[in-house]
Amino acid sequence: MTEQFSRRDFLKLAGLGAATTAILTGCGPASRYVKREPYQQMPEYNSVGQSTYYATTCRECAAGCGLVVRTYQGRAIKTEGNANHPLNLGKTCARGQATLQGLYNPDRVQAPSTGDWDSAIQIVADTLKNYKPGEVAFLMGMAPDHLFDLVTDLANATGMNAPVRFGALGMFEARATLSKAAENLFGQAGLPWFDLGGAQAVFSFGANFLETWISPLPYTRGFVGLRAKETKIRGTFVQFEARMSATGAKADHWVPVRPGTEGLVALAIGKLVSELRGGAMPRVFSSVNPVEAAEAAGVELEALHHLAEMFVTFNVLAIPGGAALGQSNGLEIAEAVLALNALSDNFGKPGGVYLSALAPNQTEYNRPASAEEMASFVEKMKSGAIKALFVHGVNPVFELPASLGFKEALAGVEQVISFATFTDETAAAAKFVFPDHHGLESWGYQRVATGVSLPVLSGAQPVVSPFYDTRATADVLIAAAKLAGGAFATALPYADEVEFIQTRVSELMSEAAGSFSASDAATFMAYFQQYGGWYKNVEALIAPDGSSVLNGNVNAAEPEYAGEGEFFFVPFVSPTLAEAGANKPWLQELPDPTTTVMWNTWIEMNPETAHELGIANDDVVKVISEVGEVQAYVYLYPAIRPDTIAMPFGQGHTAYGQYAENRGVNPADLIAVRFNEAGDLAFAGMKVKVEKVSSAVSGVGLSRMESRMGVYGEALGEEH
Amino acid sequence: MIKKLFDWLKQPLGLIAAGIVFLALFSAAAYGLYTTQQAPEQPVPGFPHKTHVSFGIQCLYCHPGASKGPAAGLPSQAKCWGCHNQIVKTRDSALLAPLKDAVLSGQSLEWVPVAIVPDFVQFNHRAHVAAGRNCEECHGDVSQMGIYQNPQVFNMGWCLNCHIEAAGEDQAKLIKLADCGTCHY
Repeated sequence: MTEQFSRRDFLKLAGLGAATTAILTGCGPASRYVKREPYQQMPEYNSVGQSTYYATTCRECAAGCGLVVRTYQGRAIKTEGNANHPLNLGKTCARGQATLQGLYNPDRVQAPSTGDWDSAIQIVADTLKNYKPGEVAFLMGMAPDHLFDLVTDLANATGMNAPVRFGALGMFEARATLSKAAENLFGQAGLPWFDLGGAQAVFSFGANFLETWISPLPYTRGFVGLRAKETKIRGTFVQFEARMSATGAKADHWVPVRPGTEGLVALAIGKLVSELRGGAMPRVFSSVNPVEAAEAAGVELEALHHLAEMFVTFNVLAIPGGAALGQSNGLEIAEAVLALNALSDNFGKPGGVYLSALAPNQTEYNRPASAEEMASFVEKMKSGAIKALFVHGVNPVFELPASLGFKEALAGVEQVISFATFTDETAAAAKFVFPDHHGLESWGYQRVATGVSLPVLSGAQPVVSPFYDTRATADVLIAAAKLAGGAFATALPYADEVEFIQTRVSELMSEAAGSFSASDAATFMAYFQQYGGWYKNVEALIAPDGSSVLNGNVNAAEPEYAGEGEFFFVPFVSPTLAEAGANKPWLQELPDPTTTVMWNTWIEMNPETAHELGIANDDVVKVISEVGEVQAYVYLYPAIRPDTIAMPFGQGHTAYGQYAENRGVNPADLIAVRFNEAGDLAFAGMKVKVEKVSSAVSGVGLSRMESRMGVYGEALGEEH
Repeated sequence: MIKKLFDWLKQPLGLIAAGIVFLALFSAAAYGLYTTQQAPEQPVPGFPHKTHVSFGIQCLYCHPGASKGPAAGLPSQAKCWGCHNQIVKTRDSALLAPLKDAVLSGQSLEWVPVAIVPDFVQFNHRAHVAAGRNCEECHGDVSQMGIYQNPQVFNMGWCLNCHIEAAGEDQAKLIKLADCGTCHY
């Protein structure tokens, strides 16, 4: 305090000011009066001042978790997991929580691009009618849902191309490889399910099961079971991967193997285990040389010995994950890793490997399209075999590697109709956009593909009335089929989407051992809505026949790497954003679990390598692959092999709304089109060059937990 | 500088100035307090509860939430108009023009609730109705009111008096009814 202004004076003036403010504002009517607005027409199931809860299914990814959404006076307020849903047992992931930000997103498509639905439906009807059935194709998201069934019915009855399901998550998980490996080893196709909870130790080869892999919630629950100490010893977890994922960060041992050598390592461990146990060497492990394998993988032989000893002590569950299978030799790697389980003799046993239960209304495993199948789809678009394309629930322009040429092929298709809720890259390139409701405004059902031992049909219902002039795609198709007449009309003899769903769901009434039963269809449907789905109380995991696995022949030799350069390139799915989360600020703001970076794309590089190259944190570098180049900031990440760089997939949108656009880069632009034997993309088997572009500038760079620079657009992403 | 200001304030002229400022603030505060005690402006001025009650309409017909949950609630506009639409006298009455406009335009009337308690009080109508209290015991003789006015101030002493009275000699009941956590949780 100065001489002119004493402490006492300051307190006097401050007190006087506070008193005046309190009197003038506190006593004013504005602070006392609130306004209450009555309903125009109160729904009969509502009660004033009380929340209403609806059970539905999360549509953020294809796992099919059950949600219970709290609504208040017609607005969705909060999503939580549905405790009665056997898949997620009341839990959700961050994406499930953020689904509200899709509902209230300011960038939603608010009306059909033709202005009114009558003309939109006319256009869909004309498209169905005027093109030959073989020239019309549907491209859909990964979820095996009611819309997929409806379009399948339509296609079967009219000779249209069968709908193709695709999603970037499936591509990065290499699902086709996983099921093909199961088919080769067990003679039965299916999506393998790994019982983490019952295992004593888990060897995961690049499976990021705590983040996005296949069905992260049940796998996280399994992981909790693995680590539980109350009933058994705390399970051990070993992760083999070139770049430490958030899942790998939880491991007791993290083994940074060179990309593409996972199969060799698995076979070498198998051989060492067999040697330790004595007896005849199984044929599948006989050809591998552990010394050479350790050298190829860039790990110490001693480490492999140690792991083999662990294998002998514990009942180990070996899991082949996406990054390991996205290699030119991915199928062999998957077989080698699955074969390791034969040493634990855990096929179809607790703590072991199963094939996922088939959902109700399902007779065989129906996997999403592999990248190779998408390539032939693109080829059909290019050649003019597909002249009319409907797109729903997927954004292939963003999700497929640019080098696959989907965008160019799309420009050549005569009629492209998108049913997108947001103007994503594909919708922006479509001729018409006829927006579907948001998931929380929609009816539906979805088969749960994996993650639970019971057959589950998850149910969806609107939790709020649609906010905008959107319409359910199923309703649009049913109305358009009526207009088109003929085989179209007879294929979809339903009044609307709800009638179609009721018809399908009521087929389950005759099934025994259901989670509920009812004698009439209306009651059955009411229960279906109330419980958020129906499941059968019968264990339905399929025990695979692993009797011939040890006598098989797996040649997991070194892979072929695409391109040239000093670095292996490992793109990984962002655990927070994944393929469609970038337009939700909650997810953008959620720090990446391992780096804490938000709102941007980064390139992970080992600090030692960076030091040699004269690269520092937040320097801008250019990554050059054989098909493209991108620029991004460097993040010095100690938990990555010095010969490897990694980039998250999830940012780099050129459309998709204000929160997603022009932020970061898309590593899919770098991925060359090479497939493994099962037709999955060899995305993790690439070599790239790195060039420094500019040094870090103070105040510009990656936003992290500690600094929020870059959040408001002053980052690199804005400049190009 | 501040010292100079305080010195000047001690002069006669300064005292007069300070007095004027004090009076201005005091009257502003008094006016503010006065306005809080006035009935606020409502969207349908002069809404007659009296008339509705005299036709034998039960309180719960328009405010059914009182028997079910925390808030008694306002009737939906569809419910108001459902009757008024059929009464020739009210269909085109100037008094009901705001309601008619709101119904036809799909807008909501903005009512100002007057029987309210602060946010830190967890009041629930249902428990009171279930305990056999009648509406008029708290809300007064609504059959004589136009627009609703509180018959007394809803403060904690008034609540507690009734709670203690209701418990009577029953000690267990008194503990429940007079516990802080009954209303503040």
